[in-house]
Amino acid sequence: MKRNLSLFIRQMDVQLRMRTLNLYSLLLWFIQPIVFSAVGMILSKAAGNATPDLVYTVIGGGIMGMWSGLVFTSTYDIRSDRREGTLELIVGSPTSLRKIESIRTFTNVAAGTISLVAAFLVAVLIYKFSLAQADILSAILSLLVILFGLWCMGVFLANLMVWSRLSTSIVEFIEMPVALLAGFMYPISILPTWMQEISSIFPIRWGLETLREAIQGTDLNEITLAKWGISIGISLIIYLLSRLLDRRVHDLIRVTGELSSI
Amino acid sequence: MRTVIRIVRLYFIQAWFSYRSLFAWSTPFNYFASKFGFPFFSMLLFMFMGKFAGFTDPTFIIIGNILLLPSLNGVSGISQTVGGERQFGALSYLLASPAPRAPLFLGRAFFHILDGLITLLVALPVAVFLLGMDISSINLGPVLVCVITLCITTNGIGFIMGTVTLLSRDGWMITSSLSIAFYMLIGVNFPVEHLPSFLQRVAYGLPMTRGIMAARLALSGARWNVIAPLIGGEIVVGLIYIIIGYASFRIVERASMRSGLLDTI
Repeated sequence: MKRNLSLFIRQMDVQLRMRTLNLYSLLLWFIQPIVFSAVGMILSKAAGNATPDLVYTVIGGGIMGMWSGLVFTSTYDIRSDRREGTLELIVGSPTSLRKIESIRTFTNVAAGTISLVAAFLVAVLIYKFSLAQADILSAILSLLVILFGLWCMGVFLANLMVWSRLSTSIVEFIEMPVALLAGFMYPISILPTWMQEISSIFPIRWGLETLREAIQGTDLNEITLAKWGISIGISLIIYLLSRLLDRRVHDLIRVTGELSSI
Repeated sequence: MRTVIRIVRLYFIQAWFSYRSLFAWSTPFNYFASKFGFPFFSMLLFMFMGKFAGFTDPTFIIIGNILLLPSLNGVSGISQTVGGERQFGALSYLLASPAPRAPLFLGRAFFHILDGLITLLVALPVAVFLLGMDISSINLGPVLVCVITLCITTNGIGFIMGTVTLLSRDGWMITSSLSIAFYMLIGVNFPVEHLPSFLQRVAYGLPMTRGIMAARLALSGARWNVIAPLIGGEIVVGLIYIIIGYASFRIVERASMRSGLLDTI
């Protein structure tokens, strides 16, 4: 237990200093969400609305910051090891790559919550968004469900992205499409039906729905529980897929020794 | 005469090498993804944000995002090209070479202008066929002039950002932030008049703001006399940025030579 805790703290420390905390993260956590939120607010004003929907424009921006930060840190984790020549060394060490990657992704997800916290603070302190009606317990549980979903997706992407050097470009087809389909900045209901159907495969979508309902004051009910269940279920499937990918990564390094040459 | 030929040759050699390392793409997929991935999906995101806000017609957002495409070349591309020289260790040799600076520096823009133009000319018909954009009243001549002007004027900021990239290893972060800020500042997703007054002043001080306004008017059938003042303003603003970009590059270059720091400045 003590050894695991030590590993956890050391890995988080290294991950924060080497990968997670950099200027690009600053862009993804704060600048991009601020711009997208501002566009949402100005569009709302231009359309003649008295006040913008803060849950979608401001807090949605925070969710987007979390997601973008995760995509650009986790997808580059194993690839950075490959580039820096540390991947084989990690695989050769007694601690499994899976365990290390799990801690790294946890660090990325945890650090990314700063974007959401900042968005909440902006909504409450600057725009006087009231949390009086919010179901805080449901909101916290929904957030945990979202974080778990993000963690599973992060571990999956880290392994998936190691397969090809084209992965740098694949990221371009992951960050925005998920934000687009999971309804970070607007309700899913405004999407065409076929897009809504695709969005149901993303665990964040379900967690986001319950988070928003909790913030807007909807009491915990069976539908909320069902959405949490769906989100956790999909997250677990994604995690299982990442285990398969993780095994393949190991085989490529240990059995065929070809990973660095891909 | 020989000097002129040498300068022209140098300009096109620089342009060709710059093009071959454009965005450091190694396959057509990489090229396609870096050119259209983020811009296309962010355009869709803004379209749905607009729909959620209450706009039923997404044409304004579609046109704005398409007209923003050359900035990817002009701003990110050029600054990335200059930054790439440093990353790959070629900058010191470039700075120490006796080659004339104007073709060396400006040559980096040539294929970015062409590439930006081609991107726009591909994206506009795609928007018409896939997204149902209405161009029934288009005035083609002025549209072409607007598009070519936009592709050239965006390079000014690219040159300035290239110099910033020479000064700071985190220059690309400023470039990326600026590229994101364009979605809000230059009338891409909503008219500039909806910005707070101080941001409107910033917007009119940036290249592309007037060019995008002019292109929108031309797409809806406006004639030369309507768009001419906007295009004139766009050219003036763009030229100012190009001159500042070139001058700042020369200043930084001289400082690096004087101190002997070269690319570690």
